[in-house]
Amino acid sequence: MQDVHIEFRNIDKVFPGQQALKNVSFTIARGEVHALLGENGAGKSTLLNILQGVFTPTRGEVLIDGKPATFANVHDAIGAGVIKVHQEINLVPEMTVMQNIFLGCEVTKYGVVDKRAMEAETQRLLTSLGCRFSPDARIRQLNVGEMQMVQIAKAIHLRASIVSFDEPTSSLTDREVETLFQVILRLKADGITILYISHKLDEIYRICDRATVLRDGACIGTFPVAGLPKERLIRSMVGRDVAMFAKRHRPRCVDWRDVVLRVRNASGITGFQDITFDLHRGEILGFFGLVGAGRTETMRGIFGADRLTSGVIELYGRKVDIKSPADATAQRMGLAPENRKTQGFVKVLNNLDNIALASLDKFQAGPFQSRKAKAERARQIGEKVNLTPNDPAFFTTNLSGGNQQKVVIAKWLTTDADILMLDEPTKGIDVGAKSEIYALMEELVHQGKAIIMVSGELPEIIGMSDRIVVMHDGRISAILTQEEFDETKILTYAVGGGVDEPEALSQAQ
Amino acid sequence: MNLKHFLKHNSREVGLLVALVVMTALFGAINPLYVSPANITDIVNQATIYGLMALGMTFIVISGGIDLSVGSVLALIGVIVANMAVAGVHPALCIVVGIAIGFGVGAMNGFMVAKMNLQPFVATLGAMSFIRGFAYVISGGYPIIGIPASYRAVVDGMVFNGIRTSVIIFLIVAVICHVLLKHTKFGNYTYAIGGNEEATRLSGVKVDRYKILVYAVGVSCTAVAALVQLGKLGTGEASAGQGYELNAIAAVAIGGASMAGGRGGIVGTVLGALLFAGLKVGLIVVGVDTFWQYVATGLVIVVAAYSEKIQSKFSEASGRVRTWGAPPQRAGGTTGD
Repeated sequence: MQDVHIEFRNIDKVFPGQQALKNVSFTIARGEVHALLGENGAGKSTLLNILQGVFTPTRGEVLIDGKPATFANVHDAIGAGVIKVHQEINLVPEMTVMQNIFLGCEVTKYGVVDKRAMEAETQRLLTSLGCRFSPDARIRQLNVGEMQMVQIAKAIHLRASIVSFDEPTSSLTDREVETLFQVILRLKADGITILYISHKLDEIYRICDRATVLRDGACIGTFPVAGLPKERLIRSMVGRDVAMFAKRHRPRCVDWRDVVLRVRNASGITGFQDITFDLHRGEILGFFGLVGAGRTETMRGIFGADRLTSGVIELYGRKVDIKSPADATAQRMGLAPENRKTQGFVKVLNNLDNIALASLDKFQAGPFQSRKAKAERARQIGEKVNLTPNDPAFFTTNLSGGNQQKVVIAKWLTTDADILMLDEPTKGIDVGAKSEIYALMEELVHQGKAIIMVSGELPEIIGMSDRIVVMHDGRISAILTQEEFDETKILTYAVGGGVDEPEALSQAQ
Repeated sequence: MNLKHFLKHNSREVGLLVALVVMTALFGAINPLYVSPANITDIVNQATIYGLMALGMTFIVISGGIDLSVGSVLALIGVIVANMAVAGVHPALCIVVGIAIGFGVGAMNGFMVAKMNLQPFVATLGAMSFIRGFAYVISGGYPIIGIPASYRAVVDGMVFNGIRTSVIIFLIVAVICHVLLKHTKFGNYTYAIGGNEEATRLSGVKVDRYKILVYAVGVSCTAVAALVQLGKLGTGEASAGQGYELNAIAAVAIGGASMAGGRGGIVGTVLGALLFAGLKVGLIVVGVDTFWQYVATGLVIVVAAYSEKIQSKFSEASGRVRTWGAPPQRAGGTTGD
């Protein structure tokens, strides 16, 4: 009935400790724009990487035009016309547009590079895409949207038959998005098959023909987009089993009268705008959003790691000026960064030194540092956070992910921080360690601390939070109280479809 | 602390010590003169200048940086202090001014790295040239001679049996550096910044300030080297110290510091400096052709660096045994403790 271009057949992909894809089978027709949808970690990017030859599937195969096409590496995939448009990487910034397009396939004449022929071809490609920059422009002079166009031009030049996009609009302006859509529709008209990953449902409705929904690595189904109610699409994305372990075991302990952190209209150049919320004593405030929603950037902005361009931060009712993490630390705030291994702790240091790093002033004995006091304190705090092994001389980098996270939290407990910002505290750690982190968080709020937990895991955010801040595209789209916690509702806000827009929903129907 | 634990945590230093003993025995076997007290004193004397510079370089390298300007700094401080000493300024004041200049130049280098965000290699390459230029401008290109004996006695006087004050100064500075590095907040931050600057910054450490301080302290050690050198030679010359920065870096590298930052120590650097000086003297004593001396020295640097790689690979393997369910990472070396 349809001209099948790509077929995924019974694909399994197992990573150590995690099954990323489970028996995924579906087909993509020639010349369609096909959306891949799903929550964070549903397996979309993994699937794209398998198509692209970055990963090989543990089981199953990919067929292109009915022939097995499980590529061993990216190079083979590109040779077969399967090309991915990356966000901004993948181009050499110091080289020109022309040099980048012809990189690895330079046209030569009598053994030397034929610049004129390459220039003419580049100009032809750029004109056909409606680009106004010159073939001689250097990549670093272009903006993100233009870089994408260069990659698309390169894909056309390489006679691509399948082009995939992973969140292509996340750093584009509205005008650039418009241009991109025009180009995508043009590629489609030329018979090129497009795979499109995005969290933004309105984009899906605008340009996609069909959508395949993934959930927890399994394929939920493929739907024609036209006429499909938005609600149904969202509901098919959620519905993950709310994990048994992500829940509160003790009575809630929020003191709603005591606002410890008040953020008003905070904006930063890193991609968040007009952030306004309160954090109370004894509260676990969840921050939910999909990839690129600006949660991490918001935390870094409040913590002083990136500059705020505007906004007011008050601690305990007093306006404060936080210009650096040192200022934030002095105000008894602590941040456990999203990227634990590269930002959370220092690899070459052992537990003792990592735990003491933020509070060396406490261990000063005259002009010297007291190792003994540090070791004692590290052991004490290690016991409190249930660090295994609780050995101050053990190198943090050799611990499991969960225990590394405990070291990061222990560092802030050593400073007596009252406000803890935990960015994806359970990312990449096993279930047992997760529940330990949850228990620790609960213990801390019972001691009167306040916690902001950034997470992209719905079950975790629903199970642990007292309130949930939902972010979309750099802004807060909703702040929900516990009675309003509902997976579909939260995800609706996260994809940018506010529930106060009934018209939009009915239009989609 | 038991012996096994000590060996495990100080394997690099122990290895260097063994290498030093073996090398001394080898050269001694070929030419017994090598192990004569006079020759050994000579080696130690030679090691003091590189050694002092290397002590400072250790801080900079551990913090993840490098300073190519120290050879030029040696010349600049040499000519300035020579002028002062010749003019009859008290030796104590000469020493204070010399160290202050070193501290200032280091702070400037640190400022370029920390605040102007220049790569240490490039920033200090620039500094290397303009500091050398200032040395020539100040001296007019002429050697400054006639350093008073009172000054020379302070920095390089004979104490007893061939032991000079310069050696004692070297030891004192080494002890101070060791204590600074291992037992102060400043030292802890030096390791942390070299190990992971971003994580350290996010821990509330004023990283920029400490990086400037690292260069200031590091170049101050070169200032001490310049003061001692002036006493040893009795002349201040704008052309002095050319290429010394590389010798200092070599001693630090042989001593086991990682050029990527985060690892290294004073004991290793001192042994590295002794090994380096001992090798140079040894090659002369056993009669190796001058040209071949360069070849041999270069080989030793590469072999030392490679042995450090093998060693960290080995400790990574042993770290795996102690791993609690985590994928093995590069195990830490001789840091912190």
